[in-house]
Amino acid sequence: MPEIKTQDFSAASIAAINDPKLRRALDRVASGFEVARLDRVAEATPEVWEDWRQQARDIKEHTIEHLDYYLDLLYTNVTAAGGHLHFAKDADQANEIVAHIAQTRGVKVATKSKSMVSEELGLNPVLEAVGVEVWETDLGEYIIQLAEETPSHLVAPALHKSKEDVAELFSEKLGIPYDEDIYHMAATAREVLRDKFMEADLGISGANFIVAETGTLVIITNEGNGRLSTSAPRIHIGITGMEKVIPSMQDLSIFLRLLPQSATGQRITSYVSMITGPRRSDDEDGPEEFHLVLVDNGRSNMLADPALREALYCIRCGACLNICPIYARVGGHAYGWVYPGPIGAVVTPMLVGLKRAKELPQASSLCGACREVCPIKIDIPRMLLDLRKKTAESPDKNLRSAPRIERVLASLYVRLMSGPKLLGMAIRFGRLLQKTERIIPFFSPMTKDGKWIRKAPLPLLSRWTRSRDLPTLPKQTFHDIWNKELSRDDS
Amino acid sequence: MTTPDSLDSLGTPKAEFLAMVRQALGREDIPPAELYPRLTDTVAELEDQATQIRQRLEESLPALLDKLADMAAKGGWNVHRATGTEDAVGYIESIVRDSGTANVVRSAQDVFDQVPVDSALTNLGAKVTVVLRDDETPREVLREEIRQSGVGITGADYALAGTGSLIILPRKGLSRLVSLVPPVHIALVRAQDLLETMDDLFLLRRLEYHQRGGEMGSYLNFITGPSRTADIEMTIVEGVHGPKEVHMVILG
Repeated sequence: MPEIKTQDFSAASIAAINDPKLRRALDRVASGFEVARLDRVAEATPEVWEDWRQQARDIKEHTIEHLDYYLDLLYTNVTAAGGHLHFAKDADQANEIVAHIAQTRGVKVATKSKSMVSEELGLNPVLEAVGVEVWETDLGEYIIQLAEETPSHLVAPALHKSKEDVAELFSEKLGIPYDEDIYHMAATAREVLRDKFMEADLGISGANFIVAETGTLVIITNEGNGRLSTSAPRIHIGITGMEKVIPSMQDLSIFLRLLPQSATGQRITSYVSMITGPRRSDDEDGPEEFHLVLVDNGRSNMLADPALREALYCIRCGACLNICPIYARVGGHAYGWVYPGPIGAVVTPMLVGLKRAKELPQASSLCGACREVCPIKIDIPRMLLDLRKKTAESPDKNLRSAPRIERVLASLYVRLMSGPKLLGMAIRFGRLLQKTERIIPFFSPMTKDGKWIRKAPLPLLSRWTRSRDLPTLPKQTFHDIWNKELSRDDS
Repeated sequence: MTTPDSLDSLGTPKAEFLAMVRQALGREDIPPAELYPRLTDTVAELEDQATQIRQRLEESLPALLDKLADMAAKGGWNVHRATGTEDAVGYIESIVRDSGTANVVRSAQDVFDQVPVDSALTNLGAKVTVVLRDDETPREVLREEIRQSGVGITGADYALAGTGSLIILPRKGLSRLVSLVPPVHIALVRAQDLLETMDDLFLLRRLEYHQRGGEMGSYLNFITGPSRTADIEMTIVEGVHGPKEVHMVILG
């Protein structure tokens, strides 16, 4: 698996927020994808859109609840179509399978179309170690590979790079003159990679969906690299998570509507490719061998936890990233691993371990926008809260996310709020402190109109008010008013 | 070259993997209590639905052809509604002429009996290669021909009015690469290829799969407009790995 830097979320976020270039890049996402998505929802009408979401969710829910059944059915039908289905329990095993196929078939060059799961597995270095030249062919992934970085968005992996960055990178790595014209750069990638497609022995793809009934792998792309990778080389290996299975081909239409419209606002992508086994004997072209590698790699942890199971319904459209106020400020790399944004904050802790990623569930204002845009109606805020609960209540000290003092204060707060007597006393004491604030200069934190506390006393509390104002205690609380007047009012 | 060394699966044995999944689900080894309704459809039921689709298409054909033209244009196709065979051939001639290419590849499909493009393009001075493998022209030779071509021409297996998509089912006579590798792709669509929605398409594909005893061919492709990327600064660039220019010629 690739290096896990989820522990550094706070530090990485601060660095990201202070990076003006990243700001501009993230602004483009917000104004691009999400606006286009809204156009599509309006076009479908919100009622119809809602109906699609529910249908899609029902299909996912049914399939995941019977995942063993559908994986078995898939196995039968991939095999019947002349393909091979391999199950991998973890990243190492998945990488071994692919490396084994490559080695036994004498593979020298491999082209890859976009696959987030292969990023999750860290497949490229494993293949390179057994002497295979690996080429990412999605333009964004190609840029990332040349720059030796990781994707920063599920759909647009290189969105954090400006055209100047890419021009410099191409100039340095490909030895061509610096040219920041985006059209020229895309043409360069076409030219370089066209040779590789024709030369490649192995094409590797991800899968957006796999149809159990027919053993069909479905990939949704815009560039055409997915079609080339699965058509030109003599071997095709598809790699994806075990949760991508759906029962029947007829279930596809709902997902083919929801995925592109949610991801980029396109009615449909340029290409949808459906692959069932290797080429048949009289086909004009296509690979001689078809392999599908399905990985668990921590997914059964999500499956086993009823509170987090619905994270497996995700179709990786990225809509939750595009709307998230946290993602919009920190970008994808701050999340420290492969899957960023709200869904990443749920999935990553389950795949790399909550202990290493305990800060990620905190990376949310719980505003609920991710749930609103999710085409599968996944309740991400609920799951983030569940993960926070798990970190807060764990007996394991290393798993707890909050410092000890915060826990002590929180338990005091609970005690204070759960009895009217104690609360009343505290309010009276607080009012007293507010009155003394002119006398003791240390307590001069209020605004001139006396409505807000700008800076709470004590270093600990002042951290809380560094980016928030706290309302001052009113002269009368609702309780006071009730007791004095309203309770006696019979009208 | 190489041959598959065995049909066995690598990695975790299926039974062990499924047991793991089952354990995570907290279920016994039993199929779903209620089978998924779609998976219990009989061929007769699917045939019935297919008949209904055909009827619906027949009733609304002119409107659907208009819709196809409209949605295909929105999807990025250059749409040409041909008034007849001659007009279609003339349009294809003009595209090939404008491309300046000396090499054209086309698939071997029935539609070319109806729209004879070969002689017209040869008269323009272009070499037309029909991508159909035989003993003298193996796959490798054809592949190089495709790579050297400036224009690829195919028919359609279906066309979806709802999304403006061309559907092709690569097989003997229909290479996967003719519509993909040359920088210009021209697709010929007949009225009989028309479907309304993806639902129609997937029902017909399922029906064929079951009618053919669990075989549906190795590949199915939706093509909607040119190849595109927006991976650099979200600027849309057409013609990355696939064609930059795509034409849909609608006959009828």
